[in-house]
Amino acid sequence: MDALALFAVFLKASALSLGGLSSLPLLRADLVAPGIATDDQVVQAIAIGRISTGPNGLYIVSLGYLVAGVVGATMALIAASIPPLLIVPLTAAARRWMLTTPVAGLVRGVALATAGLLAATGIGIVMATGAPSWWQLALAAIAVVLTYRGTVHPAIVIAIGAAAGLALGR
Amino acid sequence: MSPREFGEAWALSQLSPGIHLVALAGLVGRRAAGWRGVVAAVAGMMIPAAAITVALTAAYALIAASPIARAALAGVAPVTGGMTIATAALLVRTTARRSRAHAAIDVGVCLASLGAAVFLGIPTLGAIGAGAAIGALALGREPPTSRESSVG
Repeated sequence: MDALALFAVFLKASALSLGGLSSLPLLRADLVAPGIATDDQVVQAIAIGRISTGPNGLYIVSLGYLVAGVVGATMALIAASIPPLLIVPLTAAARRWMLTTPVAGLVRGVALATAGLLAATGIGIVMATGAPSWWQLALAAIAVVLTYRGTVHPAIVIAIGAAAGLALGR
Repeated sequence: MSPREFGEAWALSQLSPGIHLVALAGLVGRRAAGWRGVVAAVAGMMIPAAAITVALTAAYALIAASPIARAALAGVAPVTGGMTIATAALLVRTTARRSRAHAAIDVGVCLASLGAAVFLGIPTLGAIGAGAAIGALALGREPPTSRESSVG
């Protein structure tokens, strides 16, 4: 995949998502399904994005690097930075309109649909090996609870997963 | 920037596509120093974090093929899957309306999207488009005791 096509994929995912990780369903559909990226790379990118500084949405920079090196990371960074900035001229031109009921409903509808897709993507990642073992399902359940409660740093949750993988995954 | 202005910038940033923090940085930057402020704020937030992310990814790529990294990945994969499911749940928690009847409808829309993706294999764009249409037509109204009144 050439750099421009990769940029288009990242731009589409960023422009049609709401918030950091919600670009994942579109990216997985456009990159993993055609064989440009693997589920392993997606997992690595999400984990690194959670450990690294900055918004969680920067996982796409990691994914860009894994797929196409520094050029891929640069494409992902630019693609992630442009769509959110549409709000700046939109706000200048139509601030009152932005805070109306239909706009609130549209954004809520997209967010709820995206949440469903994101949950499906999460299930897909857990099931990606075909037949996850009991300890992998238990790890997924623990990660759901710890992440939802938000009291434990994501890097620690990922370290728990890595330790369990080292102990049980060989 | 007054607390009220910041509150409104935050509310508007939540409507933006992509990473909301980028939108917030852009709105704050514009208020502070016009378009040069937008560029400075967004570059200041994104470039160092992206450089650290690339460095971590490059470091990981050096050991990715080793047996130890492969074994660790067998545990990290279900964890990231679980984190993704929790992120979806958190998105519903912040988005769904507060009254019981409205919340039930909102959770129903989310579950319909989940079911359509898992069981019907509906294209991702189709689900997002359907969510946008249903939302604009039916999910905008909210009782006045909601968060929106506290934003200011």
